[in-house]
Amino acid sequence: MELSEFKAGLDAWLDENESALAPPEGIEHLDQQMVRLSKVKAAVYDAGWMRWGWPEAVGGLGGSTLLRAYLGAALTERGLVEPGIYSMTEVLAPTMIDYADPALAAEMVPRLLRGDETWCQGFSEPDTGSNLGSLACRAVRGPDGWVVNGQKVWTSLAHYAQRCVLLTRTGTLESAHRGITAMFVDMDTPGITARPIESMHGHPEFAEVFFEDVVVPFERTLGQEGQGWSVAMDLLPFERSTALWHRAAFLHHRLQQVLDVAPDGALDPAKVGEVTQLLYAFRARSRGTQWRLHRGETLAAETSIDKVLVAAAEQAVFDLAEEALAEKIILEDDGPAERWRSEFLYSRAATIYGGSSEIQRNIIARRLLDLGNDR
Amino acid sequence: MDAEDLELFSRSIRHAAEAAGGSSGFDAGAFDASLADLGWHDAVADFPRESISTLFSIQGETNATSSALHRVVAWALTGSPSAPGAILPRLGSWQPPAREAGDQVQVNGLANTALVEAGEVTVPVATAGGANRSATVTVGDLQLSPVKGLDAGAALVRATGSVPGTDAKSNEGDWANAVRIGRLAVGHELVGASRGVLAQAREHALERIQFGQPIARFQAVRHKLAEILIAIETADALLDAAWLDGTDVTASMAKAAAGRAGRLAARNGQQVLAGIGFTEEHGVHRWIRRILLLDEVLGSSRTLTKDLGSNLLASRQLPPLLPL
Ligand SMILES: Cc1cc2nc3c(=O)[nH]c(=O)nc-3n(C[C@H](O)[C@H](O)[C@H](O)COP(=O)(O)OP(=O)(O)OC[C@H]3O[C@@H](n4cnc5c(N)ncnc54)[C@H](O)[C@@H]3O)c2cc1C
Repeated sequence: MELSEFKAGLDAWLDENESALAPPEGIEHLDQQMVRLSKVKAAVYDAGWMRWGWPEAVGGLGGSTLLRAYLGAALTERGLVEPGIYSMTEVLAPTMIDYADPALAAEMVPRLLRGDETWCQGFSEPDTGSNLGSLACRAVRGPDGWVVNGQKVWTSLAHYAQRCVLLTRTGTLESAHRGITAMFVDMDTPGITARPIESMHGHPEFAEVFFEDVVVPFERTLGQEGQGWSVAMDLLPFERSTALWHRAAFLHHRLQQVLDVAPDGALDPAKVGEVTQLLYAFRARSRGTQWRLHRGETLAAETSIDKVLVAAAEQAVFDLAEEALAEKIILEDDGPAERWRSEFLYSRAATIYGGSSEIQRNIIARRLLDLGNDR
Repeated sequence: MDAEDLELFSRSIRHAAEAAGGSSGFDAGAFDASLADLGWHDAVADFPRESISTLFSIQGETNATSSALHRVVAWALTGSPSAPGAILPRLGSWQPPAREAGDQVQVNGLANTALVEAGEVTVPVATAGGANRSATVTVGDLQLSPVKGLDAGAALVRATGSVPGTDAKSNEGDWANAVRIGRLAVGHELVGASRGVLAQAREHALERIQFGQPIARFQAVRHKLAEILIAIETADALLDAAWLDGTDVTASMAKAAAGRAGRLAARNGQQVLAGIGFTEEHGVHRWIRRILLLDEVLGSSRTLTKDLGSNLLASRQLPPLLPL
């Protein structure tokens, strides 16, 4: 399947089917968003579109990763999915394909693609944010598998999820990143409690997750024991490639809406110009990344630049929205106002999640500028 | 041009730029002559993107000077690779540097020393009706004064005066295209110059010891350098996009981003180089001077950004997005 053929086919299909999949006017609560995400994924999966760009071994139809980039952007631009919750597919499916036992990947990945299931990513802990190598959630060998005890936090969608890609400490704490093991955990295993956390933007997007003597079969190990750090490091470039292309589509959509609704004189032309340049620069950068992925190149530290740029662009777009619509965002409570407010607030997290902008600069200094260790 | 040819081409240009440098300053005439020998001007017509991006990046990175920008603008304006180098607009402006006034053509723009020696220049002319054309003018008919200013190394010459319109051989001219291509060329030069500053600041950060360790260990220093790289990559991505989509608006965004990257490289680079970077001897000041000059050529980052914003607020319509 060529990209041009895919584009034409998908666009035509969406023209015909989008009205049945479109959200209602105004704000939609996360429960509803999750329901609609599943509905949209099932529809595009059953029509075949969602299967392109994924290997046949996991229920895909093969073809370039560019097809996935195009699909997610098209769904986002039409407002059919919210790119944050959609992105879990792009982040977690490649990890399963690369590190899970092939039979397990073949069984599970189609469920994620089709929207039958939600998965989450359990990395951060109360004492482990930026310093991922210090994580402490323990897994020890038991008779029937790993026995996990500990806590994760800020785990997006954990309270909706059927599965979790979990990082655990199997070595000593001193072994730092060498003593980490990744595993694929069923969220309904006895001993797991996920408690949603209310967040600033009004949607309980993430949760704290407690593990008490949770048994995870050894076959669920992703990669080898002690290889968890590599699993995590290989996952991060995915978090900064296809998923970010989708985010650019969303930001473009919203920036156009800012232009549509901004009252005359509300915006400083120099700022409008700069935000547009930033967003278009991010898009150009990300396009290069999509093509490198398509050519099979290994993505690594240079995607930190993509992450810094998308975060800057996202905050700039919503800063502009807040300037254009100050009264609406600050004082009003109707659906559209609530949505602008929620997205403006959510944009504040763009420089925090997925590795903070400071951490990205550390990576750029260390890996791309080769400045040596910082201590 | 395949990857291997491009690599060879790029190496030859870099070699020529290095050969033209020396203790007595950069020999722009020698560099121009090498470019002619390498067939660079013909290559521009056949492989515009490769030739322009390669030369101007290297020119920026090595702080070289040539008449290449004047030649590229003349080619983009007239379609002829052998057209004499063009007079550029006054600093900050992107209007043609000449206009019709009665039966005269009034010129006020920037040439450079090589153009003066060549004897003839291409003059972009705004016509009374609002269209544009180009004229070939004998250098002797213009008043010329060499510019020292902030960046004497740029070898610019201010060119003014009125020439009889009848003496000026007139052609069609696509000025918008000349501005677009000129901005891409200057954008690449700015990115190259920013990389030049970054390389010098990086090297210094690794060598300079304070508090018993290389200053490259300090996060404040590391992040300043990382910021430069981010700005450079931002501009580079937009330059890429501008070559791909061929639109004026993307080229203008790319030029603005490149100017901003240059100014950031100058500010952060100078801060990291500190005292030594402030000396005549260190040399980074030459890159900084060039960056400040280039940011103003064919529209500065500040004016282009504001201009884009004003247009968007008037049309209320974002430019088309670069397709996948
Ligand atoms: C909306 C949202 C969704 C999230 N979803 C998930 C998820 O699904 N799964 C998951 O595992 N996690 C998730 N997270 C957690 C996220 O990954 C962490 O918040 C992030 O890694 C930062 O960790 P922290 O909050 O503990 O901050 P800290 O690490 O405590 O950092 C605090 C501040 O110090 C700075 N800092 C820290 N170390 C350095 C350093 N070495 N150099 C310079 N500055 C430094 C940081 O940049 C930051 O500004 C989510 C977070 C948010 C906000």
